[in-house]
Amino acid sequence: MKARLAVVALAAIGVWQVGSGAYIHAKAWLAQQLIASAWARTIEGEHAAKPWPWADTWPVARLQVIDRDIDLYVLADASGRSLAFGPGYVSGSAPIGAGNTVIAGHRDTHFAFLRNLRPGDELEIQTTDGREWRFEVDETHIIDSRTERLQFDDAAATVTLLTCYPFDAIVPGGPLRYVAVADLRNRLPSH
Amino acid sequence: MQSKSAAPVIVFLCAILQVWILQFFSPIAHAQGTEQDISSGSLTLRDDQGRSIDAPRLHTAVRMQVSGIVARVEVSQSFHNDSDGWVEGLYAFPLPENSAVDTLRMQVGERIIVGEIREKAQAQKIFEQARAQGQRASVVHQQRPNLFRTAVANIGPGETIDVVIGYLQIVDQDAGRYSLRFPLTITPRYLPGVQTSDDSSTIADLMPRLAHANPQRQSVSIEADIDAGAPLEHVVSPYHPISVAKTEGGVRVQLRDQQSPPDRDFELSWTPVVSGEPAVALFREPTDQGEHVLLMFMPPQAAHPVSTPREVIFVIDTSGSMAGQSIEQARAALLNGLRTLQPADRFTVIQFNSVHEELFDEPVEASPRNLAHAYRYVNNLYATGGTEILPALLTALAMRESTEHLRQVVFITDAAVGNEDQLMMAIREQLGDARLFTVGIGSAPNGHFLRNAARAGRGTFTYIGSTNEVERKMGELLHKLTSPVLTDIELHWPAGIEPEYAPASIGDLYAGEPIVVTARLPAAAKGMLTISGRTSGNWTRQISLGGMQPRTGVAALWARNRIGDLMDARASGATEEATRSNVLPLALQYQLVSSYTSLVAVDRTPARPDGEPLSSRRLPNTKPNGLDWPAEGMPSTATPAELNFAIGALLLLAALGWHLRTRRLQERRPR
Repeated sequence: MKARLAVVALAAIGVWQVGSGAYIHAKAWLAQQLIASAWARTIEGEHAAKPWPWADTWPVARLQVIDRDIDLYVLADASGRSLAFGPGYVSGSAPIGAGNTVIAGHRDTHFAFLRNLRPGDELEIQTTDGREWRFEVDETHIIDSRTERLQFDDAAATVTLLTCYPFDAIVPGGPLRYVAVADLRNRLPSH
Repeated sequence: MQSKSAAPVIVFLCAILQVWILQFFSPIAHAQGTEQDISSGSLTLRDDQGRSIDAPRLHTAVRMQVSGIVARVEVSQSFHNDSDGWVEGLYAFPLPENSAVDTLRMQVGERIIVGEIREKAQAQKIFEQARAQGQRASVVHQQRPNLFRTAVANIGPGETIDVVIGYLQIVDQDAGRYSLRFPLTITPRYLPGVQTSDDSSTIADLMPRLAHANPQRQSVSIEADIDAGAPLEHVVSPYHPISVAKTEGGVRVQLRDQQSPPDRDFELSWTPVVSGEPAVALFREPTDQGEHVLLMFMPPQAAHPVSTPREVIFVIDTSGSMAGQSIEQARAALLNGLRTLQPADRFTVIQFNSVHEELFDEPVEASPRNLAHAYRYVNNLYATGGTEILPALLTALAMRESTEHLRQVVFITDAAVGNEDQLMMAIREQLGDARLFTVGIGSAPNGHFLRNAARAGRGTFTYIGSTNEVERKMGELLHKLTSPVLTDIELHWPAGIEPEYAPASIGDLYAGEPIVVTARLPAAAKGMLTISGRTSGNWTRQISLGGMQPRTGVAALWARNRIGDLMDARASGATEEATRSNVLPLALQYQLVSSYTSLVAVDRTPARPDGEPLSSRRLPNTKPNGLDWPAEGMPSTATPAELNFAIGALLLLAALGWHLRTRRLQERRPR
């Protein structure tokens, strides 16, 4: 009797843990679906269109890597709460095209693709005014957030995608970050 | 009994397990991270052929020569290339605000090449040509009034090239104490969603977009000779350990560690021992452009504090760049400011980051209850988000003013922003009768903006670099806040002399502040100079112009101040073209680096053989000491999903194992 209870408890907690993990992934995926419709409204001119009524963030850009089948909506901030739903725009970095724009995302959900990103890959970014920008990945490297920092100040038009590193670390919260830096190639004509 | 308690115990154990795994493994992850960083990190970069090359090593040697109230400083940057390829070093660095940069010397081995002043785009072109032809060359551009950058091309394998940059500066003086600041790093600036008109695209490629700082590859040494013309006391460097030795004319100060990491600003202060007479210093330098004078005069002090009650609006920066020690200093400074309020005074507090929030909608009386409320509020401030100064400042300036109170805005920030011009315009237009006092916080605040803002706001700028300075510096600020202001300061020159002042107006002065003026006169002046002003009553002093001492550098200092005035005029509507056409000839005439002029030095002997590639390295700035980085710019971007999966799988396996084992036991057991 007592043994069976213990087994059931162990199994239940195991399921709960797996469920929590799966929930994180499900939430990450589902949120992007909801944000898609908010983005459509944003392009039509709605300011700060919320993906669901109680959301405290909203999409500010659409990020696509055509070759890698990536299509993501970038949220207005990079707080832990928002990053669960999508990659976030790091406040303090430049607006798209006006300097170095930094976008952060979770290494195990939205930004897991960064490990496969190579110099020469093209990013397409659509901004809220409907314009589309094309960036080309120039370099990728690893930085240590304890001693290094990102430069936001008046750089040439670049996009820096940032995620945690190593990609396979089991435990979150390490000091290393993986970044992919992309230079502006040209701006596509607006639709 | 046992079976009932088993389940909760296991849940508890699992919770502990998860926390324990998280905590126990993090340090290991850190240790691994460091190793990976060295082997594959960003400091090792590759050249065109895929070979890896280190960024040049950089040592900065600062030599300061202070005589009286003028300092000549030489900053020598040694770029050492310890790779086996040819490299170019690019380095952005701060200099004190209002420094008149007039010298560039490039030293290669025994040879010295002296730089020349050129229009900015032309200087860059000369540099790029030399770079392409394999000649050693260097160029110094001004990025912002206190931000410069050097580029050094064609540093050969194993070679060291020294770039020496020289500037002049007027020493700060306050309440008899002299001080100099040398900024050693830059707090990254926040640019709200505005375009800055700054800078031409030709040097945009010099901007580091990612800064990789490695303190091991950068170091700084500082040496200062002070000749104050009088015995000195209280030679203090609040942020660096120093050694002080007596010399013939004064003292020599050195950093105790001549390989210090450049992670915080250097400050040095000293007090000349003088008798009761008011301090006057008057220097001249005649050039082809006319007679230039530098005047410093300590006006008589009023003894009685003002009795008008004050209305103080504290504005505090709680943005991400303030994370770490900065926010602690800011909280301490603010609490200190609150404690000085008298019952008749009124106050409120506004905090801002990406948004702003007022403690009270308008100033309230400084009652014990309101103050207690404020103390609690301030103690709970923490740093996060962007630096949207403008809306907070406008809110502070728009608060209804009381006629019985003296309105003072105390602005506590590191001002890590790039939209200085926009803020200056708001201050000029909206301030009204209020006075703006800026308090700079952290290892490397934006001193240029804070000083200018205080000047435009008819207040003062106080710099607090460490928590144990808060008490003293805030005490001095309070003394200024409660002392009568010196107004209507006028200078009367002998008949027929029309001086061009820079800065154009002296403005009002607070207790302990000297009058410092540079001026250009059409011809040498003789006779008496009369200075008058007003505190509680009127006063007048006469100074003989015959006693003026010649001093080189006075002309350059005047020109630098004049250029500063012309650049500031943009905030009140001067067009870019008009500013350029005024500043450019002045900067070329007086040989100064400005927004439109740069220094360039080229060694005509080709160094790099044809065909050898040149790789370009950006040299980063070190992270300001005490700044918590992950808080801003590098969010944590890993979910615990993996961990959840791992623990879940482990537990399910354990449950399965246990289940099988009990079943086997039950089967074996006789029924």
